[in-house]
Amino acid sequence: MSKRECVAMLLAGGQGSRLGALTQQIAKPAVSFGGKYRIIDFALSNCANSGIDTVGVLTQYRPYLLHSYIGSGSAWNLDSLDGAVSILPPYATQTGGAWYEGTADAVYQNIGYIEEMDPKYVLILSGDQLYRMDYHEMLETHKRHDADLTVSVMPVAWEEASRFGIITKDDDDRITKFTEKPSKPDSNLASMGIYIFNADLLVETLREDANDKNSDHDFGKDIIPGLLAAGKRLYCHEFNGFWRDVGTISSYHETSMELLGDNPAFDLFDDSEGRIMSNPSTRPPHYIGPNGSVVDSLVCNGSTVLGTVRHSIISTDAYVGARATVEDSVLLPGACVKEGAHVARAILGEGAVVEEGVNVGSVDMTKDTAVIGNGVVVGKGE
Amino acid sequence: MENTMGIITANYSALNPGDLTKARPLASLPFAGRFRMIDFPLSNMSNAGIRTVGLIMPSNYRSLIDHVGSGKPWMLDRKGGGLFVLPGSAFGTSRTGSRFLVRDLEQNRIILQRAKEDYVIVSGANFVFNMDLGLLEKAFEESGCDVMVLTADAYDDNPDVVSFALEGDNVRAIHHGVSYGQAAFMDCFMIRRELLLKMLDWYAQVDYLDLFEAMEGDFSRLDVRVYRYGDYCAPIFGTKGYYRHNMELLNTDVADQLFPDDRRILTKPHDNPPACYRRGARVRNAIVSGGCQIYGNVSGSILGRDVVVEPGATISNSIILQGCVIETGARVENAVIDRGNVISAGTELRGSAEDVLVLPKP
Repeated sequence: MSKRECVAMLLAGGQGSRLGALTQQIAKPAVSFGGKYRIIDFALSNCANSGIDTVGVLTQYRPYLLHSYIGSGSAWNLDSLDGAVSILPPYATQTGGAWYEGTADAVYQNIGYIEEMDPKYVLILSGDQLYRMDYHEMLETHKRHDADLTVSVMPVAWEEASRFGIITKDDDDRITKFTEKPSKPDSNLASMGIYIFNADLLVETLREDANDKNSDHDFGKDIIPGLLAAGKRLYCHEFNGFWRDVGTISSYHETSMELLGDNPAFDLFDDSEGRIMSNPSTRPPHYIGPNGSVVDSLVCNGSTVLGTVRHSIISTDAYVGARATVEDSVLLPGACVKEGAHVARAILGEGAVVEEGVNVGSVDMTKDTAVIGNGVVVGKGE
Repeated sequence: MENTMGIITANYSALNPGDLTKARPLASLPFAGRFRMIDFPLSNMSNAGIRTVGLIMPSNYRSLIDHVGSGKPWMLDRKGGGLFVLPGSAFGTSRTGSRFLVRDLEQNRIILQRAKEDYVIVSGANFVFNMDLGLLEKAFEESGCDVMVLTADAYDDNPDVVSFALEGDNVRAIHHGVSYGQAAFMDCFMIRRELLLKMLDWYAQVDYLDLFEAMEGDFSRLDVRVYRYGDYCAPIFGTKGYYRHNMELLNTDVADQLFPDDRRILTKPHDNPPACYRRGARVRNAIVSGGCQIYGNVSGSILGRDVVVEPGATISNSIILQGCVIETGARVENAVIDRGNVISAGTELRGSAEDVLVLPKP
C-alpha cells in the first residue's frame, strides 16, 4: 500500500452508557477486555495488520486513560516515520468550539486532519468492536468496484436482523437499499459500521451534511442513505468471521465467555490473521497457589489464584483468595476476590474488591450478569 | 539519582558453565518465567532514576542485545545519555572470576570521560535482587569513602561468589569463593567517576585483572567500605543455584520481596496472550507466564512464555523455558528444560532434587 493511500478514522468518543458501571470513569474503547487487552486494541491491531499506519482516533468522553493507553501508538507498531496515531479530541477555533454531535460530525470537525494527511481513501472504524479483519482486502473490493463508498457487511440470523442496519444488495454487490433496524427485513446482511469512502466524496458530503439542520450527523442514519439517494456507487464487502459489538453488559459478558473453551469462537492464540497487540504493563508471571485450581480460563500476568477459578477471565494483577470461587466471570485488572468469597456470572471492575466470604452474582442464567464498578468494594450485607 | 550513571558488566562466565550457560551469556539467562538476569541490574538502576547506563557485552551477545534493544523498557532510550552498548574484550568470557575486568573498563573509558554524572554504580548481572539504589547512594555520600561495595551475608558456600575480609566496615582483602556467614560481594559497587578513571590509569599494567584484584594492594590506602544489604538476594551462576532460586519464588513471601508493586522489575515486553487453562488442566503451586496453553498437570514448577502442556502431560518441580511443548503423556520431574524443546509423547525425564536434570536447547 502506498503511503497514506488510506487513512483510518477511529471513532472512540462514545460514552458507552449501556456498559453502565464499566464506563463510569473510562471511555468504552478503553474498557479492559480479554484479560490484558482493552477494546480499542482490536481495531488498532487490525489497522497495523492491514498496513494502515495513519490512524486518527476521535475521542471525547472521559479520555484520560484512552489517551495515555494509546500514547504514540508504538505498542501497535503504528509509530512509523510516515504514519502515526493522532488523537483527535474536540478543539476550538477562532469562531469557538463544539462537542462532537454524532459520528459524522466528529469526522466533519476533523476534515482538516484528513486534508492534511491527503489520502485517497478514508476508512471509518468504531473503537468498540471485536473482530479480526484485513482492511486491505476491503480496500481491494472498494477499488475493484470503482465504488464511492464500501460498507462492510456480515450475514446475521434473520430473527436478529431487525436489530441492525440492514443492507439490501443486487447481484453485483451494489447496495440498493439501507434500512436502519427494519421491522420486516428483506435481507440479513448487517452493516458492521465499517466504511471506506473516497476521501474527496467524504469531505464534500460531510460539509453538506453539516449545513443540514435536519440531520443527526450520523453515518448510518444520514450519510449513507443520502449517498444512496443521490445515486452514488455504494458497494458492500462481505465479512464472515467473528465480529461482536460489546455495547452492553450482557454482550460484554457473552463475548468474554466466547474467548474460552477448547475451540473458542475468538481464539486469542490464533495469529494466522495477525496478532492482537496491546500496551501492557510489565508484571511478573502469575501464581497459582498450592490449593488453587484453574480450568477453562484465561489468566494474566501479575495475578494470584489461591482459590478455584472455572470458565473465567482473570486479568492483570487480579487476586483470588484461598477458598474463594470464581466462575463464569470476568475479573478486570486489579480486581480482588478475598478469602472464601464466591463470584458467579459477574464482571468485577478494575480494582473492585469482594470482601471475605461475600457472594456476588448467581449461576442462574435467567438473572442479569452482576456488575461491580471500578474500585467498588462489596462488603457483607451489600 | 541524576548525578549517578551505571555500568553493567556482562562479559564473564561461571566457573563451571552448565548446559544453561553454554549457549548464552549468564546475563541473558531467563529467570522467574518471563525475566532475564540482566533485568535486575537494569531495573534497579532505572527505578533509582539512573538514565545513563553502559552495558559491557560478552562476545556471544546475540540474545542479550535482542533483549535490551534500545533500552526502552528501562527508560533508557534518552536524547542524552541512555543505554550505551559497549564492546567487551574477547578475553572476558574465558576468564571466569573477573566481573569487572580492568581491560573492559579501560577500553570503554570514553563513556566515563564524557559522562556528566559525578558517581558511577558498577554492577554485574548475576545477582537477583530488587533494591532502592538511592539507599546506596545516600550511604556512599554520607560515609565519604572511596568505594562502597554491596554485600550480603552468605547463606551458603559458593565458589563463584567473591567474598571480602573485613575490618569493621572496611574491606581488607578479597577472596574468590564464599563460605557460609561471610560477606558475599553482590557484584555491585559505587565509586566517584573521577576516582574510577584514576584507577584505570593506576592499573593499566595489570588490565587482565579484575578491578578488585588489582585494588588488592591498595586496600590499606583506599577507603573501601561495605553496604550490608539485608533483603532477598540470590546469586545465579550454575544450574544448582538457578534451580533453587527459581523454586524459591513459589514461596509468595520471597516473590513479594522480589516483585513489590512499588518497585517493578522491568523487562522487554512480548505482548503474549494471557495464559490459557483448558478443560482438564490441573495446576498447583506454579508460576506461569503469558502465552502458555495448559491442558495437563503442572505442580511446583515455573513455566516461561508460550509453553504448551498437552493433555495428560505432567510437569512437577521443574522449570520449563520459553516455547517448549510437553506432549501428551510425557512426564518431566526435577528438571530444567531449556527453550524450544519438544518433549515427545510418553517420554519421561527425571532428575532428582539433588541432581536436577538439564535438557539444553535443541
